[in-house]
Amino acid sequence: MTAMLRIYQRLWQVNWAEQWQYRANLLMYLLYWMVSPIVYLAVWTAVANSQGSVGGLTANDFATYYLTLLLVDVLTSEITIHILGYKVQEGSLSVDLLKPMHPVLTSTLVYNLAFKALTLLVLVPVWVVLALLVQPDFSAVTLGNLLLAVPAVMLGFGISFVLGATVTCLAFWTTRIYSISEFYWALAVLFSGQFVPLELMPGALRPIAEALPFQLLKYFPIQLILGRAAPETILPNFMLGMAWLVAGLAVFLVVWKAGVKRYSAVGA
Amino acid sequence: MPEREGGLGAAVRSFFKRKYTNVEAVKNVTFNIAQGEVVGFLGPNGAGKTTTLKMLSGLLHPTAGRADVLGYTPWERKNDFLRAMTLVMGQRNRLSWDIPAADSFLLNQAVYRLSNDDYQRTLAELDDLLELAPIMRKPVRNLSLGERMKCELAAGLLHRPKVLFLDEPTIGLDLTAQARIRGFLREYNRRTGATILLTSHYMADVVALCERVIIIHHGQLKYDGSLTGLTRRIAPVKLIGLALLNGAANGLERYGTVVPNESSDGKLFVQVPAGEVAAVTARMLSDLPVQDLTIEDPPIETVIERAFNE
Repeated sequence: MTAMLRIYQRLWQVNWAEQWQYRANLLMYLLYWMVSPIVYLAVWTAVANSQGSVGGLTANDFATYYLTLLLVDVLTSEITIHILGYKVQEGSLSVDLLKPMHPVLTSTLVYNLAFKALTLLVLVPVWVVLALLVQPDFSAVTLGNLLLAVPAVMLGFGISFVLGATVTCLAFWTTRIYSISEFYWALAVLFSGQFVPLELMPGALRPIAEALPFQLLKYFPIQLILGRAAPETILPNFMLGMAWLVAGLAVFLVVWKAGVKRYSAVGA
Repeated sequence: MPEREGGLGAAVRSFFKRKYTNVEAVKNVTFNIAQGEVVGFLGPNGAGKTTTLKMLSGLLHPTAGRADVLGYTPWERKNDFLRAMTLVMGQRNRLSWDIPAADSFLLNQAVYRLSNDDYQRTLAELDDLLELAPIMRKPVRNLSLGERMKCELAAGLLHRPKVLFLDEPTIGLDLTAQARIRGFLREYNRRTGATILLTSHYMADVVALCERVIIIHHGQLKYDGSLTGLTRRIAPVKLIGLALLNGAANGLERYGTVVPNESSDGKLFVQVPAGEVAAVTARMLSDLPVQDLTIEDPPIETVIERAFNE
């Protein structure tokens, strides 16, 4: 156990040091991350302002929702495909496979976390400026809400990590991994509550969105933070999240094993 | 592996129907290596050398056959096996590009579960052999090729592996750097008793390090034995080098095959069957105004090339 902790600690040091080198890269990601929530925020608040409300949501509801989404999105998202996809394709995964540790559950995981920490460091000041400009009313946020959101955010990241890693594993079978990943991202945007808060989804789509894991990455933690989650939905959502995490991890481990076997069959 | 003809039509056809051919990269290659041996693994490009090394280090899963390294089946990739061996590829980085090698070394300490004492001791030893101190604190991308290779070797050896697979460890290095890496490997083998299997296109590496060579070509074993034995088998000839007083070179053909001399020392070389060296030499000494005479083996490059083409 201590040995594993030391591996994670050293990985953190290496990744943290390494990622400070990629300033331009970081800024690009940050812009990418901010553009869509800000566009949705602008559009939805404009619509709500002109009509008084949309489906019961006021302009302030949209502003708080999307500003919270900006932070939750960074906390729960992952960039595994950008860390691992090319390694599988160009063969540099071999170097990782020679080490006595699982490359994804150690170094890729820590890379994600270090990247997250660095992104937040830059995002938070920008977020404060945005909040001052939009001036939303966050009075519904309580300490209890925030504490409840902590495990939800961690669970959300866990789920998105195993799903992202599984999608990345498809690189073992196809060289067109990035188009598959785009499709996955489109599903995530649609069903996570990024494109539109779940309560505004058309009737038939909403139960699907609620059962899928994507809402647990954004919508559910945001609702918890803003104190809008209906009390009877909280426990079922946590249980749903645990189920997705366990199932996702199991599927990932199976796909990874098959993928590495294939990789080692076609020429590592 | 996929293949197709060139041209637009073939590109479109390959979209609908891919054509694959099976290539046997390595076939029926069998050998045993004892602990502490340093073995050169030779063959022209595409012979199957790297494929074999990758199988032995667990990166490739063969379709058939068996391999046993330190009691493990490599492609099961057990952690204990991975901790006991190393594969260093001259053309592939294992160090992080943007940070100093020293940081990667510390990561390896954790990954290979080395105690602080063991780590410090091995690092000091590697520093002694490779002179790492001045280079290990610079970002790897700022190092020269030779400096980088030193750090790559150190990263691959910090956990004191019992078995070293080295794929072109001196590729692209200048002569001094090549010699230094060679000296290091010899010393490492002497100090630790590690077993080394190395591929190289530089015969100097092989001559300096390996008493035994294994040659493969088209994925098949061609030769397994000592370097000197290879010379005897493939090219049982000797080169008689002559420096003549008046420089007269006419009529040397009657002693054997005259071999062109690429250096400018004015020496003349005659190749004769190994069994006739004594007799031919005696004749030369009595017939010719000999100033100096040497008897040499043919260059190893020539021998190996002949072995490949056999």
